Amino acid sequence: MTQDTLVRPVAQSPPPRPPRRGMPSFRRQGRAAHVFLLPFLLGLVLVTAVPLLASLYLSFTDYDLLHDPELIGLENFRRMAEDQRFWASVGVTLKYVLVSVPLQLAFALLLAVVLDKGMRGLALYRSAFYLPSLLGSSVAVAILWRQLFGHEGLVNGVLGWFGIEGESWLQNPDTALSTLVVLNVWTFGSPMIIFLAGLRQIPEELYEAARVDGAGRVRQFWSVTVPLLTPIVFFNLVLQTIGAFQAFTQAHVISEGQGGPLDSTLFYTLYLYQQGFNSFNMGYASAMAWVLLLVIAVVTAGHFLLSKYWVFYGDER
Amino acid sequence: MDAMNRRRFLQLVGFGAGMTALASCGGGSDGTAIRYAWWGDTIRQQKYTAALDAFIRQNPGIEVRPEFADYDAYQERITVQTAGRDVPDIFWIPSPQVMSYHDAGLYRRLDDIGSLDLSAFSAAQLESYKIDGELNTLPRSVLTAAVRYNQTFLDEAGAQLPPDDPQSWTWDGLSEFLIDYARDAPEGRKAIHHNAYGDLNFEAWLRQHGQDLWSADGRMGFDVATLAEWFEWWEVLRRAGATTSLSEQEGPSPEWDVVGDKVLITFGNSNHIADEAPMFPDYEFGLRLMPVLPDAAAGHRFGYLSRLAVYQGIDDDKLDAAGRLVHFNINDPAFLQIVGLSVGAPANPRMLQAAYSVANDDEKKMLAVVEQEMAQEQKPRYEAPPGSGTWRTIMGRGIEEVALGRASVSDAAARVIADIDRELGRAS
Repeated sequence: MTQDTLVRPVAQSPPPRPPRRGMPSFRRQGRAAHVFLLPFLLGLVLVTAVPLLASLYLSFTDYDLLHDPELIGLENFRRMAEDQRFWASVGVTLKYVLVSVPLQLAFALLLAVVLDKGMRGLALYRSAFYLPSLLGSSVAVAILWRQLFGHEGLVNGVLGWFGIEGESWLQNPDTALSTLVVLNVWTFGSPMIIFLAGLRQIPEELYEAARVDGAGRVRQFWSVTVPLLTPIVFFNLVLQTIGAFQAFTQAHVISEGQGGPLDSTLFYTLYLYQQGFNSFNMGYASAMAWVLLLVIAVVTAGHFLLSKYWVFYGDER
Repeated sequence: MDAMNRRRFLQLVGFGAGMTALASCGGGSDGTAIRYAWWGDTIRQQKYTAALDAFIRQNPGIEVRPEFADYDAYQERITVQTAGRDVPDIFWIPSPQVMSYHDAGLYRRLDDIGSLDLSAFSAAQLESYKIDGELNTLPRSVLTAAVRYNQTFLDEAGAQLPPDDPQSWTWDGLSEFLIDYARDAPEGRKAIHHNAYGDLNFEAWLRQHGQDLWSADGRMGFDVATLAEWFEWWEVLRRAGATTSLSEQEGPSPEWDVVGDKVLITFGNSNHIADEAPMFPDYEFGLRLMPVLPDAAAGHRFGYLSRLAVYQGIDDDKLDAAGRLVHFNINDPAFLQIVGLSVGAPANPRMLQAAYSVANDDEKKMLAVVEQEMAQEQKPRYEAPPGSGTWRTIMGRGIEEVALGRASVSDAAARVIADIDRELGRAS
């Protein structure tokens, strides 16, 4: 007896199509990709790369926008060294960065920790606290700040209840920059939201273990929350530092474009703008812009280099 | 690039760029679309837009594209437009940029445009408007330095200004009057707001001292001593408590709505009364010429001509329409009826007389002051040279240094002069 062997018929895959003439399919896909990328590429080239290179070229020229640029080598960079207002703007900007960024991050972290705990209406508070971040660099808020800190502003009104007669905070060279620092701290919403996201990533077991070991709330904060949040602090620090170096709108509106009183709010970018669009020294302004780019790059690189000493990633031993 | 040959890619890029450029053209032009650029506030924007609409109705087939901006933004925009060779066909000229724009070749001659009638101007007037021997700009209006006072406050105090004669209406006489008024002024009221920043007023001071804001050769026309005297005149008032502090007026260049009900007197431009008096409708304001030094230099009187121009690069086929629009601006009383007199008194003598019929009481005061000033002997006045665009910013810093006690009058004046000189030097 012969055993019939059941043989499963081999699935017949359809014969491969003969290759079409012309481009292989990956080439066709490549072409499609290029077409879809075209708007971005056009934007990149026309709106970013070309102006970037143009400003690099202009930084080596004397260019007043009304006449053709004239090559002058490194003269614009040399001029910076003896430009008193340039150094004044550097000083103002450094003060602003060094004071406003740590204050803003501390305030954002504090609020994030408070909002991280369950409370009624939490979503509403988060939205409300985030709102200034959306408005903070707007002209409207800068104008509001003038109303608050002006001679007859709300702040002096409140001080008046206690018999304190205040001067305009914006017209006093010793206090004008402080109002801009306060404005920047007030826009803590963006780093706060990022801190909140970071706080959610910290395992609850670590807090439980800390409590078992007898750690109180403050101890938990410094020994658990802060170390595990350092990557987020680092991220916010880099972003906010770059933003603070580039601060412009608030000072421009509050000082009516002057950077006064007595250059006390003359941010680097505001002076750059004055040089470019008020004095028409577009070559000098371009050189200033490139110096700012390099400074921000160096500071950011410094942040990254120093981060290995204080930023703790959870997977490290 | 292997997935697509370079030529095809570049064709695509070129096509995309071409489409972008086409899209940005937005509608194109029929050859008689005129771009008209001016500056001001919202009210002026609305009035001039209405006037341009009236012009379009009168001139079917001509389209006018308005380009309006705030004063500072306007200057920045025109400069950028110049860099891109994209200047409006007709544009107002800000005072610090008259020679800069001329130097950049923005002005087209105007006396060969058939549709622009210049017959209302005398030959002498037209000659005085020329820059480098060419009639390439025309004055939209004339402004003078003026003293504006609050008659209501005077009446409340039972006070009178010094008589308006050369013996009494002097800088020293005014200073004494202001200090005297401030002594008995009501709480919160000062005699004058600190306005060393006023450019026409400072220029009046300089010309009376035999100097000038700018010289014929494009340099500063004044020296440290005269500037220091100007600062000192204000310091005497400030120390006596006759002026508002920079804090009270929110800086050296205050908004009128901030100080308007705090001060008896303000220095400013003659035309400011048109927009600023209505902000305080309960008060009556008066206007006078600037006080005069007893030994003021001959010909110190002057009017500032606020000019407009036609762009050098305007298409020939638009020239007739542009001429009509300039004509409408400077010759047509209907234009005045719409826009009013906030930009100053018309330079055109016929229009100046027509202006009285459309002017309100405050504007009539302005017209009278301008006529009074312009009727007197005037030595030549020179326009702001290239590089002078930031002189008022520099001046503002000097005023702050002095008024905030950060520098002596002489040191601040020397620094202002040095800074302006450096800016002029860079532009030359």
